[in-house]
Amino acid sequence: MNDKKDKSSSQNSIQSILKGIWNNFVHELKTSFRDRGVVIMFILGPLIYPLLYAGMYLNETLVDVPIGIVDNSHSSFSSQLIRNLDATENMKIYSHYSSMAEAQQAYDNRDIHGIIYIPKELNYKICKNEQATVSVYCDVSSFMYYRTIYQSCNYTILNMSKKIQILRLNASGITGESATMIADPMPYQNISLYNTGGGFASFLLPGILVLILFQTLFFGITMLAGTSREENRFHLLVSAKAHCGGIFRVICGKAALYFLVYSVWIFYALGIIPQLFNLPHIGNPVDLIKMMIPFLLAAIFFSMSVSVFIPNRETSMILFMFFSIILLFLSGITWPQSNINGFWKVFAWIFPSTHGIQGYIKINTMGSDIQHASFEYISLWAQTAMYFVTTSIAYLWQIKKSERKQITDNEISIIV
Amino acid sequence: MPNTLLSGIIQTFKRELKRMVSRPIYLLGSIGIMAFCFIFFLTFFNDGQPEKMPVAVVDLDNSSFSRQFIRNLKSTQHIDIVEHLSSFKEAREEMQRGKIYTFVFIEHDFYKNVTTNRRPEMTFYVNNAYLIAGSLAAKDISYMSLLTSGGIQRQVLRAKGVDESQIMGIIQPIMIDMHSIGNPWINYGTYLLNVLLPAMLHLMTLMLTVFCIGVELKERTSKEWIENADNSIFAGLMGKLLPYTIIFIGLGLIGNLLLYKYMHFPLNSSIGWMFLATILLVLSGQALGILFIGILPVLRDGITVAGVFGTLSITAAGATFPVEQLPYFFRELTLAFPMRHYFLIYVNQALNGVTVSHSLTKYIILLGFTLLPLFVYKRLKSAAKDMNYPTK
Repeated sequence: MNDKKDKSSSQNSIQSILKGIWNNFVHELKTSFRDRGVVIMFILGPLIYPLLYAGMYLNETLVDVPIGIVDNSHSSFSSQLIRNLDATENMKIYSHYSSMAEAQQAYDNRDIHGIIYIPKELNYKICKNEQATVSVYCDVSSFMYYRTIYQSCNYTILNMSKKIQILRLNASGITGESATMIADPMPYQNISLYNTGGGFASFLLPGILVLILFQTLFFGITMLAGTSREENRFHLLVSAKAHCGGIFRVICGKAALYFLVYSVWIFYALGIIPQLFNLPHIGNPVDLIKMMIPFLLAAIFFSMSVSVFIPNRETSMILFMFFSIILLFLSGITWPQSNINGFWKVFAWIFPSTHGIQGYIKINTMGSDIQHASFEYISLWAQTAMYFVTTSIAYLWQIKKSERKQITDNEISIIV
Repeated sequence: MPNTLLSGIIQTFKRELKRMVSRPIYLLGSIGIMAFCFIFFLTFFNDGQPEKMPVAVVDLDNSSFSRQFIRNLKSTQHIDIVEHLSSFKEAREEMQRGKIYTFVFIEHDFYKNVTTNRRPEMTFYVNNAYLIAGSLAAKDISYMSLLTSGGIQRQVLRAKGVDESQIMGIIQPIMIDMHSIGNPWINYGTYLLNVLLPAMLHLMTLMLTVFCIGVELKERTSKEWIENADNSIFAGLMGKLLPYTIIFIGLGLIGNLLLYKYMHFPLNSSIGWMFLATILLVLSGQALGILFIGILPVLRDGITVAGVFGTLSITAAGATFPVEQLPYFFRELTLAFPMRHYFLIYVNQALNGVTVSHSLTKYIILLGFTLLPLFVYKRLKSAAKDMNYPTK
């Protein structure tokens, strides 16, 4: 008898909890989609931003970077060298200059991004079997210029050197197979994995995509919190009435809505966009989903915890927009994680975006499975738990405050 | 007439100072955030270059030769050998874990094959998912491979009796003499900080300009603001923005001093030219802020536009990926960003130290941005006086 009663009452309570969550879910849904600002953050932001960034970085690598030539050698050898440089995919010869000063002028006008100086004695030295020098001056206003020019020149000149080596060995009486052996006793091969083309978008965009989701979610949640504070009589986040019995229901109801909306965006930004723009997408979908569930939850509860301190609608945008760039560096995709010093490493751990970005890149770009990305996976679940607790504490504190104010307010109205 | 204008400006200026201390967001959004950025960016890239990055070796040869090669690798600038692994699979998994950025694979009997002229192949695998780490580590490994291969050649040639004077000409017939103009140390901090710090300053200028005007519209105090300025929107804007002009220019100049005097980043012309560029960057940011809130006189819309514009400024500047290589549409669009012109001035003046005539047009364009508020003059005035826009 008693058992039955317990069961039915517990069933009732589960039902009422679910109902509470559902009510909060519907309430949050209505307030979110009535608010134009939140719609921009939750819908337009994650829809358009990925397209915008993917569009901007469409041209993965640098093609035909203009280079100037100062050829004082005027020999058949130097023209061969110039033709070979021009034939590379990454560089093109913009013009020939008669002197370094002239080339410098073109460089100062930013017509060219590098100068290749071939000294007068090049051909002479080549013929005399001596070591010749070619000077390369390169623009470093962007790391990509340096990387491209350095690699193309290196590749072209090394290839030409190989041919000269053989000729010289032949001249020293070493011929045939043994000449090839000596010319290249230890060939080396540079195999690039994952981002095989060395593309800029393939490297940076996956991180940016995760960051866009994180930031729009954060701004949307904090904006909702700021608005409800502005409209609430006591400038508090959760009014005593609104919580319909238990903070658990409020938190879960809200989180369920955010989770549902952003599940769609994760599928779109991290699943469809990479396919559409031919960015790396070799990850196992199951592992990706496994990683993204705790990422989303951690991001939601992190934002909800912070939102307690947001007094107005616009505050979080003003104070945290700049943080997008900081978060990108903290994630360790541009500046390697191994070289982030102790304090900033710990600081970086706090933010779900760090692990979300690393986890996404490991699974999606590098084809790791969830075990290989276990640090990120565990960290994200730990953060989910941690930020759920902080959200609960924060909401509890807000509700207490709201109740206290209501009481004093009632007392005041009685006195008046 | 000028007297009333001046008094309008002064009255608004005083009013704004009171407003600034009434809420923490004004000082947090300017001084607070910029101080954080200074500290963050100046301590984050501590070495300027990512040095001693973790690299692994799979040394199946394990000869004195291969061990010497690994020791040599370890002595290069960017590489630290952190792991000795026993198979390709293990190494690949370590790479997938993100523990190493590159690994070198040396096959069985490598040295034996070298000495018997079988030309064994040295392979290294680079993780370009981390493009910067990968390419810097790869550069050091290929350099060391070349050097080692040169050492072998020298030995063989000596043994064959080739004249010592000819050996260098055979090993390396053409030498590349690489110069990186303006930044000979390829300091990574130089690339980024010279753009990121001004970009942050620009972002916050935009945001706070939009905020300090928009919040008057939102809280329905804009009528009082204009009346306080003797009914002149010009005086109202001048007086209102002047405190931020002073603060942001101050912060910008501190930023310049930190970059060029404290960090000693390349500065090949007078620092005055960078000061001028910074001042114009602040003014153009404020002008754009007025434009945004003028077109969209609703605070949160204005803030959103300012935020998006400010973050896109970093890409538009062209320090990360060269603007010349962006798709046509975006390439032309970058001209609408003050950061693009600021960046070109920085490249010309600080990095390359060319004559200032090359940057003249860029200074003028930056100055031209300050005329933009004229387009929204009337609209903003009516928005402020009639308060006929939604507050949310």
